[in-house]
Amino acid sequence: MRSWLMSSIGKKQVVAVSGLLLILFLIAHLAGNLLIYRGPEAINIYSHTLHSFGLFIRLAEFGLAAIFLIHIAFTAMVVIDNKKARPIGYIGGQPYKERSLATRLMPYTGTILLIYVITHLFDFTLANSNGPGAFVNGQNLGLYGLIVNAFANPYEVLWYVVAMAAVGFHLVHAIQSVCQTFGLNHPVVTPVLKKISFVLGVLISVSFASIPIYVWLFISTAH
Amino acid sequence: MPLDSKIPGGPISEKWTQHKFNLKLVNPANKRKHTVIVVGTGLAGASAAASLGELGYNVLAFCFQDSPRRAHSIAAQGGINAAKNYPNDGDSVYRLFYDTVKGGDFRAREANVYRLAEISNSIIDQCVAQGVPFAREYGGLLDNRSFGGAQVSRTFYARGQTGQQLLLGAYSALMKEVDHGSVKLFSRREMMELVLVDGVARGIIVRNLVTGKIESYAADAVVLATGGYGNVYFLSTNAMGCNVTATWRAHKKGAYFANPCYTQIHPTCIPVHGEYQSKLTLMSESLRNDGRVWVPSNKGDKRPPASIPEEERDYYLERKYPSFGNLVPRDLASRNAKIVCDEGRGVGSTGLAVYLDFADSIKRLGKEVIEARYGNLFEMYERISGSDPYKEPMMIYPAVHYTMGGLWVDYNLMSTIPGLHVLGEANFSDHGANRLGASALMQGLADGYFIIPYTIGDYLARTPLPKLDTQHPAFKEAEQAVTDRVNKLLNINGKRTVDDFHRELGFLMWDHCGMGRNEAGLKLALEKIPALREEFWKNVTVTGSVGELNQTLERAGRVADFLEFGELLVRDALHRSESCGGHFREESQTPEGEAQRNDDAFCYVGAWEYQEGGTPVLHKEHLTFDEVSLTQRSYK
Amino acid sequence: MKETLNLTLKVWRQKNANTPGKFETYEANNIDVHASFLEMLDVVNEGLALKGIDPISFDHDCREGICGACGAVVNGKPHGHLPKTTLCQLHMRHFKDNDVIVIEPFRSQGLPIVKDLMVDRSAFDRVIAAGGYVSVRTGSAQDANNLPVSKEDSDLAMDAAQCIGCAACVAACPNAAAMLFVSAKFSHLSLLPQGQVESKRRVKRMVYQMDKEGFGNCSNEYLCEAACPKGISVSNIARMNRAYFKSGV
Repeated sequence: MRSWLMSSIGKKQVVAVSGLLLILFLIAHLAGNLLIYRGPEAINIYSHTLHSFGLFIRLAEFGLAAIFLIHIAFTAMVVIDNKKARPIGYIGGQPYKERSLATRLMPYTGTILLIYVITHLFDFTLANSNGPGAFVNGQNLGLYGLIVNAFANPYEVLWYVVAMAAVGFHLVHAIQSVCQTFGLNHPVVTPVLKKISFVLGVLISVSFASIPIYVWLFISTAH
Repeated sequence: MPLDSKIPGGPISEKWTQHKFNLKLVNPANKRKHTVIVVGTGLAGASAAASLGELGYNVLAFCFQDSPRRAHSIAAQGGINAAKNYPNDGDSVYRLFYDTVKGGDFRAREANVYRLAEISNSIIDQCVAQGVPFAREYGGLLDNRSFGGAQVSRTFYARGQTGQQLLLGAYSALMKEVDHGSVKLFSRREMMELVLVDGVARGIIVRNLVTGKIESYAADAVVLATGGYGNVYFLSTNAMGCNVTATWRAHKKGAYFANPCYTQIHPTCIPVHGEYQSKLTLMSESLRNDGRVWVPSNKGDKRPPASIPEEERDYYLERKYPSFGNLVPRDLASRNAKIVCDEGRGVGSTGLAVYLDFADSIKRLGKEVIEARYGNLFEMYERISGSDPYKEPMMIYPAVHYTMGGLWVDYNLMSTIPGLHVLGEANFSDHGANRLGASALMQGLADGYFIIPYTIGDYLARTPLPKLDTQHPAFKEAEQAVTDRVNKLLNINGKRTVDDFHRELGFLMWDHCGMGRNEAGLKLALEKIPALREEFWKNVTVTGSVGELNQTLERAGRVADFLEFGELLVRDALHRSESCGGHFREESQTPEGEAQRNDDAFCYVGAWEYQEGGTPVLHKEHLTFDEVSLTQRSYK
Repeated sequence: MKETLNLTLKVWRQKNANTPGKFETYEANNIDVHASFLEMLDVVNEGLALKGIDPISFDHDCREGICGACGAVVNGKPHGHLPKTTLCQLHMRHFKDNDVIVIEPFRSQGLPIVKDLMVDRSAFDRVIAAGGYVSVRTGSAQDANNLPVSKEDSDLAMDAAQCIGCAACVAACPNAAAMLFVSAKFSHLSLLPQGQVESKRRVKRMVYQMDKEGFGNCSNEYLCEAACPKGISVSNIARMNRAYFKSGV
């Protein structure tokens, strides 16, 4: 087990599993977030319900953070190994310039996401949903208020859209990559998986990104 | 010294079984006290080293390539013969034996050939167990195909890469023993000298090709599996590194060289394109099933093939051999291509090529059928030549491909130097004057997997071998000889490159001792080769130094040996005034132009003994044929 | 079509493993378009030798695309730009007059440079020694037809077994990973019943050795497959990943 964990393939499989769990989290998170389209009550009830789980939700958050850190830590190990594997590069053009955009952007999208997650936590999770940030036109709208206020700022909206684009690129490579890393490669299934990977990546990313845009265009400006 | 082939008595089918019983054994505990050196890691060398390692011997394996897996056995395409009779078409050990003796034009030892046929089945079993992915039928059992010189389907194959798969099998067995610690691998080492102590082979001197260091290794027996000498012709289908150095060094130390004039020339190779060509590529002979061979009727006709009208084309094989047509045996096809080119009717930029035309077949069968049959070959041809054989006829020319001659060995595969064993293409033993298709792989693996493991034990058990190491004066002396020779090469500082000399030697050999040989040409070659050799030692330029990786120096050493060996090859060809198999003396042909053997005068193995500073001495091992009666081949 | 080319070569020259290397520029003039890439280098080398300059060292042997000895990165591509072609089978007609050609050795921690364009691929031998075999002793085999193997499996095994061990996959991989090479051998043997018995031990030991040699890690970009002169499929990597997961957890 230990030798598996520290082997090149083992590390990648850890990255793959943790990544897959993060994707599941994303889907659940997205489902919750989309409640914004049903108005302030829906999203605030969702938020309250989550918090009412108390200890359970703390544990879940702790688990999520752990998975996130494991994903980053193992990725870092893999990247360091890979850098060491080719100390001197090529000058006659990179042999791998035909790499797909998504794979080439993996380290950048990953870094953007790390920064994003931290800012996102400060924006919403750690912010006081009954504090001044939650007040819109003198009314305490809770989490909904936080969202509306945050996305009144077009730069904030832009940053969220960029981050969600990063999520998209990250996922397009990630899902089919998870399959390969766990040994699923089939002449019929794999091309389909690659398409699913692409569609799912785009769908998740666009759905998330739609929220700040929607809020900025139709709600924040209206207030 | 009279040649004792040590062929056991008894009926031919019992000889090997009986002999194995009579061989002395080395007890398991004593095996690890014996060190065996194996030089070369092709089919014969790798299989020998692996099998000896499994038995418990302490094996040292050497190859000049960066990995044992690169040995040139890897390039064999067609397949490997075995007398399994899976297709139920009447094959048997006896029939494989019979075909091989006859195919060798009655110049091989019956007992050796019978043993080869007998072992052939175990080879297939062994290779399948190793995971060699031979072609299979839908039922999951092994597939067979037919090959030249046989009327049964007995050839096992792995697509067009049988040699590769068999070699990788032997290599994996070898690496398994490396992992177990019984074999130590020394790659990028070139054997430079054989070391004899009290007349017995006890070690080798190698040059470490990376550091340039001259290294010595001592052992109780030495096995050479260093392949053939086809590169004496410069252009051949052999790999660039194939050389005669190891066997030639052994020859100079007392091992007799047998039948060097037996060379096999393959009729369908991609022709020479220019002065800088480094090697020739073989195209499968199966192409002749649907291609028609022709040249223009008129000398010097330089028109493109499409503009030469039908009546001005000479389909010379169909004209001369109406019954066999384009499917005459290899030697006839090769020789006739040379004849028309010598007449000035050859095609292509060099005039050394003939057309192999598929236009009629494409018209008759359709492009799809031809593509299904030869698609990969056409692709390979186009890759190399840049011309599309669906539209223009292919150009082909014969090329040197395999050498049947080699160091003389007895039934135990031991040379005339006690302790020096020789396997595979490096020995002379089983193919006579001509090798049948798909038999080279069989012989290499038979020698390595199933013969040497038994016979070397007998040698080790019978021979008193005093302990010695590389501090022995014989090693120091040999090391010094190698160092002197290398330094001499580096200090000539002449004006011609090594390749330039090699090319000249090759063309000389090809012109005078190639597909057709005659007394006048051979005598001329015997004058020219020593002169070229003399110039080499005065005018070659070898750059760099000894203490580093120096590919020019490597080649220079090999070419220096080819320059000595070539003379022996020509001498052998001159003395054998009969035609047989791959050796065609123009003076000795039937009225139809076929090879005419002279069994009364030449039914023997010609083994040459090296004489320092003098002409080599010929020893004859007379061949007797008790099973297969001597007949003349005919294709009428 | 012009029959000869004049080219400029930028070649990596490095005296030995311990000396730093650098690029040198050479002219290659009057190169026959029908010559192979290695024959072009032969011509350049003959010219260098006559000038007393140490010729460019490069590994090569069979020159018919099967031994796996040759290989260099040509203009950023292992074995040059032609797909499914080894360097010895790449002919000069695929280049243009006055082209500048950059020739570099395969680069990887696992393949240290020996000299110029020659690299030390003994890591591959050690990976094979770690498990790239079926443990069967000479003489202990049963009759070959006692063990039927389905044609599909046999063909798949042959597809993987075609690997020539040239290391172009490592050279092409952005991470210098050797996964395609290792998985091709693993797949070849594990697809056949003969090799399945020791499959678990094989995958563990081969991967362990691969990691030890300093190769990188697969990021599933499949450039190895694109560079492979034998077109070996990355599905072999998936097969090995699966087996490795099962063997480890």
